[in-house]
Amino acid sequence: MIEVNEDKLIRCPTCEAVNIDKSEENICRRCGSFIHKHMHFSTQKSWAYLITAMIAYIPANLYPMLITSKFGVQEGSTIMGGVILLWEHGSEPIAVVIFIASIFIPVLKFLILIYLLISVKYPIGKDKKIDKHKMYYITEAIGPWSMIDVFVVAILAALIHLANVEIVAGTAATAFAISVFFTLLAAHAFDERLIKENK
Amino acid sequence: MKLENEEALDNLIICHECYTLHEEVPIKDGTKAICTKCGSILYRYDSKLVEHGLSLSIAGLIFFILANMFPLVQIEILGHEQFITIPKTFIALFTNGFYIVGLLCAFLIFIFPLMIFTINIVLFTLLKLKKGKEFSKELLVLLSHIKPWSMSDIFLISILVALVKLIGYAQIHMGTSFWALILFVLIDLYITKRIHISEIWMLRKRIFLAKGMR
Repeated sequence: MIEVNEDKLIRCPTCEAVNIDKSEENICRRCGSFIHKHMHFSTQKSWAYLITAMIAYIPANLYPMLITSKFGVQEGSTIMGGVILLWEHGSEPIAVVIFIASIFIPVLKFLILIYLLISVKYPIGKDKKIDKHKMYYITEAIGPWSMIDVFVVAILAALIHLANVEIVAGTAATAFAISVFFTLLAAHAFDERLIKENK
Repeated sequence: MKLENEEALDNLIICHECYTLHEEVPIKDGTKAICTKCGSILYRYDSKLVEHGLSLSIAGLIFFILANMFPLVQIEILGHEQFITIPKTFIALFTNGFYIVGLLCAFLIFIFPLMIFTINIVLFTLLKLKKGKEFSKELLVLLSHIKPWSMSDIFLISILVALVKLIGYAQIHMGTSFWALILFVLIDLYITKRIHISEIWMLRKRIFLAKGMR
């Protein structure tokens, strides 16, 4: 017989098995993977990825995402420029989709992750009105959808290369892809146990 | 809370959405257990999980191969015809010098989906044959690491967005692969929603426990 405190039960992020929190060197009893082994710098890894993602998000918005060359005339459009152009040309639904995927979701994700990372270290948001586990789950679920714009650029670039009309991906595509990649890493690196400990 | 030993922890389950602790109870075949706090699905019980998983994975892999072999969409601009396939989208990025995006796209829409379905087939075959205790464990760990990085569904939506952008400029014809990709994505979503990774772990435990006793 072993006596366990219910608060000491944690979920393995890899295989979802319930484990007893031994605070250091937690190895999942079922799948053998580490359960966030770096307790001493628990949030740093996530912070590092998140800051990288935010830095990459700046050039992603400043440089052109898509370069259209028609009869030798080159024209680049940024993410926001593309959204405005689509809206003016009457494809409002697509403009909304691109806006949500490329601007709303990444910014929302940055804000939620910043909030979560701060709130597990410092006493804010302790009123329990916001379910932080649910918030974390939502960030994980919506995160990949920001890749839409990168895929759209890839498809258009592969499809439109004629003699006179050509579409090429811009510098922002690389920056944006890097930004999404690191936000996903930041979310994965976040230790859900910290929410529990700081309730 | 008192427990017999560490193995008894397998009777507990933590909701993957809201982190509430629940005790696992036996449920009827084909039904599901729901979290009392947030309403998300905790687990299902399917007595034919191996057969369902195996047949769905094989069907999915066939559609994935079809989706990669034929043109996805074909367009006509100013008398010129152009078509794309899934591999062509990321190869075009490479030829234009976008190595990082190209590599990322290759993994997200080609390598990872292919890996997931191959792993699923091998895994369910092993479980069906009741063999490979350690190997199935490695496969399950690998599967849960790459699962969040498979983005076929997002790619499908991206194709639609790209096509709507082209309406008015070009004539668009859907290729064979487009329909195959839709079916592949539907199967992929169905497997993700229906077969939770912890259910495969529990199944694996039951299978090798029963085998060990014999």
